[in-house]
Amino acid sequence: MVHFTAEEKAAVASLWAKVNVDVAGGEILGRLLVVYPWTQRFFDNFGNLSSETAIMGNPKVKAHGKKVLTSFGNAVKHMDDLKGTFSQLSELHCDRLHVDPENFKLLGNMILIVLATQFGREFTPQMQAAWQKLTTAVANALTFKYH
Amino acid sequence: MLNTQERAHVAQVWDLIAGHEAHFGAELLLRLFTVYPSTKIYFKHLGACPDEVLLLSHGQRVLEAVGVAVQHVDNLRAALSPLADLHAHVLRVDPANFPLLIQCFQVVLASHLQDEFTVEMQAAWDKFLTGVAIVLTEKYR
Repeated sequence: MVHFTAEEKAAVASLWAKVNVDVAGGEILGRLLVVYPWTQRFFDNFGNLSSETAIMGNPKVKAHGKKVLTSFGNAVKHMDDLKGTFSQLSELHCDRLHVDPENFKLLGNMILIVLATQFGREFTPQMQAAWQKLTTAVANALTFKYH
Repeated sequence: MLNTQERAHVAQVWDLIAGHEAHFGAELLLRLFTVYPSTKIYFKHLGACPDEVLLLSHGQRVLEAVGVAVQHVDNLRAALSPLADLHAHVLRVDPANFPLLIQCFQVVLASHLQDEFTVEMQAAWDKFLTGVAIVLTEKYR
């Protein structure tokens, strides 16, 4: 069970309050699909993913990115019980979606990079460490029900 | 390895770093040690809490090597051969650590460039740095 210090929780919450989930979600998912193109395998029915511009502008990518990041918001609200919070999603990602857990790490990396672009110098090494701890813990929680 | 546009993205970002290798390098190492504390074992010579002077000097060395890679993107193997020997035979850095350094590099670029750190820039630098890491670990066995 991951323990977050009061400072780490504060760091995460302070930044999260300023994130525009609608916009950032699409940015994060779009970057994942562009920088790690093999991840497109999970989104065959999303239409045009043929170029960087197509991916970043794709309405299904934006909508799904928003959905994913909104779900990530639950992690921020329940940092003390990530396994419980993501239990059903873990089963979904294993049994129905068949997503290699490695991809959770990659998505976590994208979240941090997009936060860095948005917050600049405010995204200090300590902020990065707190957020890395959270995305790693979420990735582990999503993998927990894999078999 | 990199197409014309990717090279342009790499060169464009390098223009901002050139002359400031020490500061970018210091920030890179500080982020690496803060976010991934296990990586400090490779830098014992910097001490448990490396001060700014040590981070700056070592950071400069690391970023100057990246600069060499930028100048020789068509021939990384030859240009980085001495460093590849060093990492294989002397430093023996577990290859799993290179993605951690690359991630921190991306965060440094993203936090400095912000909106200018477009997805195309990120993709080009990810591809470039991964290529450098492959060359640096090629002689391991």
